[in-house]
Amino acid sequence: MKTKNPRSPRALVRALAFAFVSVLALVWLVPIIMMLVVSFMPPDQRAPRFGGMLISGVSLQNYVTVFADAEIVRHFVNSMAITVPSVILVAAISSLAAFALARLKFFARDIWFYLLIMTLMLPIPTLVVPIFQINKALGLNDTYLGLILPYTALGVPFAIVILRSFFAGFLKEIEEAAILDGCTPFGVYWRIMMPVSWPAIAVVIIWQFMTSWNEFILALVTMNSNQVKPLTLVPLVYSGQFMMRPGPMFAILTLITLPVIVVYYLMQRFMVSGLTSGAVRG
Amino acid sequence: MSRRWLIDNQGLFFMVPAMILFAVFVLYPIFYIFDASMYDWDGVNDGIFVGLRNYVEMFTDDRSFALAIRNSVYWTFLTIFPQMFLGFTLAGILTSGIPFQNIFRIIFFMPAIISPVVLGIIWQRIYAPFGGLLADIGFETGARFLVQPYLSDPKIAIFSTIFVNVWQWTGFSMLMYVAGLQGLPEEALSAAEVDGASLRQRVQYIIFPMLRHVHLTLILLGVIGTLQTFALVYMLTKGGPNHATEMLPTYIFLKAFPLQSMGYASAVAVVLLVIALSASIFQVRVLGSRFTIGN
Repeated sequence: MKTKNPRSPRALVRALAFAFVSVLALVWLVPIIMMLVVSFMPPDQRAPRFGGMLISGVSLQNYVTVFADAEIVRHFVNSMAITVPSVILVAAISSLAAFALARLKFFARDIWFYLLIMTLMLPIPTLVVPIFQINKALGLNDTYLGLILPYTALGVPFAIVILRSFFAGFLKEIEEAAILDGCTPFGVYWRIMMPVSWPAIAVVIIWQFMTSWNEFILALVTMNSNQVKPLTLVPLVYSGQFMMRPGPMFAILTLITLPVIVVYYLMQRFMVSGLTSGAVRG
Repeated sequence: MSRRWLIDNQGLFFMVPAMILFAVFVLYPIFYIFDASMYDWDGVNDGIFVGLRNYVEMFTDDRSFALAIRNSVYWTFLTIFPQMFLGFTLAGILTSGIPFQNIFRIIFFMPAIISPVVLGIIWQRIYAPFGGLLADIGFETGARFLVQPYLSDPKIAIFSTIFVNVWQWTGFSMLMYVAGLQGLPEEALSAAEVDGASLRQRVQYIIFPMLRHVHLTLILLGVIGTLQTFALVYMLTKGGPNHATEMLPTYIFLKAFPLQSMGYASAVAVVLLVIALSASIFQVRVLGSRFTIGN
């Protein structure tokens, strides 16, 4: 493209870039579109072609089947009963620790911090045998608590990384003034830091919600009874029953995915800043 | 411990809940697997002490373990670098002010928030040899190279699995680069532009080197992510065919639960732990990697 106008090559580059991301985005969405399309497949359609991307009509029957034949509501409640307490516990425990690590001086502070950070380097599968055995000894296999506690323990370190750098960004003066006025360190944490830290707390909440909701290997080994299984195990529970019927199975997949999409959509404006704790501060 | 000492170290009280959880669910399990790895143990009855025999067997006479190590190497290089390249490119385009860039960012990031269990089942239908999406496109359009035994051929199954992982996590790399790009100082970029640096020169000499901390974070997270890959492989291939897609986590699970060999599984877990910690500590201490871009 030879042209005298310096603007137009740039416009061309932009148009090409737009075309590139548009095509790529369409390809990127294929598996997710497929999940939705197959979930609306009419139950009488046999032998779906193109993986089920071509359906002969739109039907809600698969969702009816799932709610009738699968205890999807129970599993949803199970997932909530595991995820919500772990989110609350992580937010509480990590904000306390992060406050101390960022604002207070105490014995071996940096060593505590590095020990906790080490958890982030630990592949969770290394812990399945001991956690299974600990839960067995405590009678926690097949209970919500048997997942809530490890999820909390494994989620706290990353939350501390995020919150600690957020807390470290505050000016010393306000805190010193509060302490002169007789405020305890806990008071500084609770009345001064926490109320203005919601952007960082929000990041911790989304992150913990998504990791707990989607966690698989610990759920797989500790939850044996169908009564207590979270949604993430549901495809395995019903894989036999719906093996030859992709419609109901994909309706289940869609129902599992919906909550994380909703949470992500509501919270996504925090995500970019959240993954970069530096930006949280600014 | 005097009263004075406790007052000076009040911070410790704030740490107590975190430290208890850390001790019970992280520290104790680490000692536990070292101990259990020296037993021939089914997880239920008393084990028999065998010293280092599990390790000797693992390194001298265990094809599945060797495959898991090989696959981890493939997985590390074939996910981290393609993801970084594509994520960097997308981030560059999606911070340049093209229309709908926020929607594009959401689309590319979406797979990262969906459970690998769900994605595994969907991709099985994409890869299926009969009635699968790729195979049917191949049959209909004559692009016969699309008709492949993606998950059943031991030679290509691992690459089909890695491909899904790249698809899932590219959006995450993109988002990290978006954040990194937004943090770059405006002046350096516009100065280079005024001085007549081309787009390629600006990317090569200014933008790419200035995003060093993002590259390092992505490599660190990529290595850790590789070493804990489980759900996707479990749902797509269960580590098969004939262990061709085995990863260390799927192998630990297989040994510990279906095969009831918890001593051996613990030995594999120790190896995984040592690899993960040494790789991560090397990156943090020597290269200066961090877990987030900011601090």
